[in-house]
Parts: sequence; structure tokens; C-alpha cells
Amino acid sequence: MSDNKQFVATASGVIEHDHNHDGVNRRGFLKCMAWAGTGALCVVEAGVLKSVALGAQLGSSKKQPTASQLSFVQISDSHMGFNKPANPDVVATLKAAVDRINALPDAPEFILHTGDITHLSTPEQFDTVDQILKSTNKEVFFVPGEHDVLNDDGAMFRERYARNSKGAGWYSFNKNGIHFIGLVNVMNLKAGGLGNLGREQLEWLEDDLRAVKHSTPIVVFAHIPLWTVYPQWGWGTDDGAQALSYLQKFGSVTVLNGHIHQTMQKVEGHVTFHTACSTAFPQPAPGQAEGPGPLKVPADQLRKVLGITNVDYLKHRHALALVDSSLE
Amino acid sequence: MPTPRSQLLIAMLGLALILAVVLPSATAIGQPAPTPATEVKVDNFTFSPEVVTVPVNSTVTWTNKDDVPHVIASTNATFRSKGLDTDDHYSFTFTQPGTYSYYCSMHPKMTGKIIVQ
Repeated sequence: MSDNKQFVATASGVIEHDHNHDGVNRRGFLKCMAWAGTGALCVVEAGVLKSVALGAQLGSSKKQPTASQLSFVQISDSHMGFNKPANPDVVATLKAAVDRINALPDAPEFILHTGDITHLSTPEQFDTVDQILKSTNKEVFFVPGEHDVLNDDGAMFRERYARNSKGAGWYSFNKNGIHFIGLVNVMNLKAGGLGNLGREQLEWLEDDLRAVKHSTPIVVFAHIPLWTVYPQWGWGTDDGAQALSYLQKFGSVTVLNGHIHQTMQKVEGHVTFHTACSTAFPQPAPGQAEGPGPLKVPADQLRKVLGITNVDYLKHRHALALVDSSLE
Repeated sequence: MPTPRSQLLIAMLGLALILAVVLPSATAIGQPAPTPATEVKVDNFTFSPEVVTVPVNSTVTWTNKDDVPHVIASTNATFRSKGLDTDDHYSFTFTQPGTYSYYCSMHPKMTGKIIVQ
């Protein structure tokens, strides 16, 4: 009763991970999942994070983030060039995502795109996405998905979005006291394996973090989930754990991924993992279909299962608030 | 005494009988079986059939029937397709015997094997 923080995983509220004060029980592994617009309410009761169906608990306890120090948006998996069920018009849905971004009450400073920008890595597809995102008037930081590096080992991707990057296109930057790291885990994938960071990138990451104070909040963004969501479908990164081991000493780490076309969230220690919806098409929940391909939904349901994620850094609480909202 | 006409008929029947016995074995001797056209279907994040055995100099054709693209890549750099969209196909002719493991370089959990004998 006394320790009852509410974490709402959909548009009507805020996910707050209060890393400094945390009432979250760290006995192992906690998972709070929001799927396909149904939403889940994560409630911390007596230090244990539980997931409750949305609708059971809402009302006046909605928390609005107070003046945030930094606000940005994560979008993902725009798959420009895809034209099959359930979405024959990924241009329209990406434009709807842009409208959402432009309508946010707390204007974001920039956008992170966690990959699969295009469907087939063509110049026209990259151009179309650039054109559409221009109307946000915001800087966009990209990491590639496996669909973005098809025929040229990512040369076109790097030329467009990661000119000053290392290796396959990884880089870091600072904004408002937060350290952002873009990683590439879609290159040199091995048969039977998952996502892959590789030794060169891991060495760079370890080195990059040396100069960062442990109290600095870190945001890592990469296409394929860095944690193991569902290995049977390739939803994980073989050497992700090693990357995460370099982040252990940091007080606040947020990992933003895409690839799975649904929102999923996990809190483990000081690390919050979050995957975003696609702006193009949904995919089934783990194991709920034969394979991870596009999930067909009725046309009037489509925009409910596509979306964006708004991230607010609340400096006074040393917490990042993640709000997923669907396109409709 | 048979008529010339019936003699001719008997001779023809006899020849037909001999040919019926001889011809099938003639085709069975010394001729290799025709090379099968080998198709691998790519659908639902799976290669079917997953393992294919073909004679040397066979051409294998992969056809992508899935609603996402795939890339066919051998694990030992022998062959690699471009990104294949739905209904695209890719062919490779195997001139050397051996076992060729391959996978989709975009979705590496998809694996298959071509055995060339």
C-alpha cells in the first residue's frame, strides 16, 4: 500500500525507472511487457514489479513528467519499400508517426531511429525516409538494421548517416549530460547465430566508456535487442552480454532497440531495456506464430499496433521516463 | 504354308517383341540419370527442403516466397545472392563435390545444406 509506484506502458502514462531510489526488487530478472496496444500496467508493490492488464488501474494517478531536462523520441523499423499486408502504405504510417512527434507537448530535441530504415537498402528508399523525417525539423541519429546493409556491407548507410563513425557505423555523442552510444549488431552475422557486435566494436565500446563518469546516464541504441528476447527467432545478440558487462558500473543505463516490431520492456539492476514498435508493420509475440514475419491485422487495427516512443530525462529524479504511444 | 502377308506379320511381331525386350535395357546401360532441376523454396523464414543432395554440375535455384527479403549465403564464401525480395530467385551451379552449408545472412537462424556428390 505504501510503496505503490505506477508504471504505465502505453500512451496514457509514463514508465519511470527511478534508478537512485528504486523500490524495485532486484532478486533476478524482472520483465514487464506491453504487447500490441493492449498495454500493461506495471505496478511496484512491496518492491516487486508486477504486470497488470490495463484498465484495471487508471484514473487520477496518472503522473505527468515535471520539467524534464531532455526529451527525445525513438522510432524504428520504418521499412521504406515494404508494400504487403498488413501495410500497403508505409509512407503514410511514417508520416503519421511524424505527425505524432510534431504534436508532442514536450517538443523532443532529436530523434533516434533504431534501424530497418528501409526494406531493401535502395537509395530511393533512404531518400524517401529522409524526406519524410525532414518535416520534424529535428536532428535524427540512426543505427542500421539488417535491411539497411543488404548489398554493400552498409557503405550507403554510413555515407548517409554515420560519416564520422568507426567500423561498421558505431559512434557516441553527448546531449545535456547524457552519453548516447549507437551500436551496430547486424553485420557479419554467423549461420545459426543471433545479432553480433564483434570484437572491434566491443573494444571500442569499452574504451569509449572509460572517459565517462559512472554517474552519467547512458543511452545505448542498436537495432537487434541486446538482451535475449527469443533466440528461436534470432531476437537477441550473441555478444550482447559482454557489452552490458562494460555498463555495470554506471548508475543509469537505458538500452533502446527495435527489430521485433512490438514494445517490450525489462528492468535488470540499473539497466532498463526497451524495444519500440515499428512504424510499418507489427510482428507476432514470441512463439505466437510460425515465424517472426509481418503480422497481418485488419486495416482499422493497423495504426493501433504501430507507434513511437517518447523519452524524457528527469534530472531531478535521475530517471528516464519512456512513453510508448500508438499511431492511433 | 503361311501367306507372304502373314509371314510379314509374324516377322513384325517378332521384331516388336525383340525390341520390347532389348530397348529398355539399352537405355539403362551406360546412361546417367537426368540431372533433376533442384528447387529450394524460401518461405516463412525456412528453406525447404532444408537438406538437398544433388549430383555434380547441378544447378540449385532458390525462390523467395516469403513476404520479407532474404540473402542466400554459403558459410564458406562459395556463393552469395543479392538481397532477394518476394518472387526473386537465385541460382548457383555446383561444379565441385562437397557439403555446402548456407544460411540467410539477414536472418541467420535460417540454415540449409546442399550436398553435392
